[in-house]
Amino acid sequence: MVEQTRIHYQEELGQLEASALGGLDLVSSALGRTMEAVEHQDVELAEQVIADDDRIDGRYLEVHQGLIALLATQSPVATDLRLISALLHVLKNVERMGDQCVNVCKLIPLTGNEPPADEEMVTKILSMGKQTRTLIGQAKRGFEERNVEMARDLVRLDDVVDDLNRECFHLALQIGDDADRREWAMTMLLAARAIERIGDNAVDIGEQVAFVITGLFREFEDASHPQ
Amino acid sequence: MSREEAAERAAIAVRPQSFQQGNSKGREKVFELKGVEVRYSGVAAVKDISLDVHRNDVTALIGPSGCGKSTLLRCLNRMNDLIPGAEVHGQLLYHGEDLYGRTVDPVQVRKLIGMVFQKPNPFPKSIYDNVAFGPRILGEADDLDSTVEQALRGAALWDEVKDRLDANAFGLSGGQQQRLCIARCIAVRPDTILMDEPCSALDPISTGKIEDLMIDLKEEFSIVIVTHNMQQAARVSDRTAFLMVELDADENNRWGRLVEYDQTEKIFTNPESKRTEDYVSGKVG
Repeated sequence: MVEQTRIHYQEELGQLEASALGGLDLVSSALGRTMEAVEHQDVELAEQVIADDDRIDGRYLEVHQGLIALLATQSPVATDLRLISALLHVLKNVERMGDQCVNVCKLIPLTGNEPPADEEMVTKILSMGKQTRTLIGQAKRGFEERNVEMARDLVRLDDVVDDLNRECFHLALQIGDDADRREWAMTMLLAARAIERIGDNAVDIGEQVAFVITGLFREFEDASHPQ
Repeated sequence: MSREEAAERAAIAVRPQSFQQGNSKGREKVFELKGVEVRYSGVAAVKDISLDVHRNDVTALIGPSGCGKSTLLRCLNRMNDLIPGAEVHGQLLYHGEDLYGRTVDPVQVRKLIGMVFQKPNPFPKSIYDNVAFGPRILGEADDLDSTVEQALRGAALWDEVKDRLDANAFGLSGGQQQRLCIARCIAVRPDTILMDEPCSALDPISTGKIEDLMIDLKEEFSIVIVTHNMQQAARVSDRTAFLMVELDADENNRWGRLVEYDQTEKIFTNPESKRTEDYVSGKVG
């Protein structure tokens, strides 16, 4: 006897969610190619990643506009309202993650054709990239499946990225006196930092998952008051 | 403090202020309903309604057609007394007194608890006489001009009609007529105003004026409003009660039941009940 209504609106909201979360696939792909460019010192690939960031920005604008239109025309409330609010945050995070890939790719030409690379540090940065892609995938799945536990587990995955970032810092401190090697290490620290921020963005998406489900926003970890 | 407690406190700290004021303990209650049931000719229209209406709140009653929200509203000033065969059971206290007590005068009840209806219903008289009608009947004719002016000002209509108080009320627009009805209601100094879909016959501008007026009026009065317009309930009310239609097993009998009653912000952002969620989201008809 209960009749389902507002089917078109529900479909539209579902499509916008899929599009916003699809942005995470774009970011994951961009990060994968960024890591490849770092590994092989591939300046051309890096330039391609930079050019392709327009796709991520375009996705942001398109879904953002769609969500604003739904707010204006459909007066969403309750779970729908929380979902739209969360998707606006997710979009911002997706856009920032894309920019961080661009930041890393812009560093690659600065290190020269045959940089005095420290193999251990490169390995750690590649591990950071791999782990961060895992985070991105899990953030997406957690959102799609509305799974708070999966979202909360992002903190644990992100701790691995943070540890690797700190290890890169210590390797940079021990890099020695050679000016070129020092310059290379400093540049790579900036890359590591950018990847570490992508991990943080994935955790932020996890917090939005919890908000959609519970209606309460709380940071999984409070950076200003660490426990 | 345990880690869980700390997390809970942190969560509360980021909730909007109005969420934290959810505890209504200690606030003066205008109505206390306990297990209220209304029957028409022996058939229940609403059953087992228990809720408190607080002073200076706008309380919204929402729900699909036939859920009994207008029936419930009309109980609050004994308007159902006028319908043959209508019976009210359960406890309905008004400022702690039994509203249906033997010694209670229904006319006095309706003076204290005014009502504004869906369709503006001014009398076929002048603007002035419409507002003066109640005070005259009650023998409060002293300084009638001042009473009329205060009521029209209270209803945000004075500036629009002060130069034509002798004009027929039917010459006013629909929105003005509804505000005139509100002025007529507050001219007898009630403490509560019941509104039964007061804006459903009005355009968005007139609706906006009535909604602004409700927010002004709640400083002085308590308001209970029945509305079909979800966004109106969200915009103007402090607390919202959601009623829905219940059917018995063989689907022969239907009656209204209170599903959820909470702060409006909670009802529209994170309701407890899935049925409330589906209704306020417009997902089920």
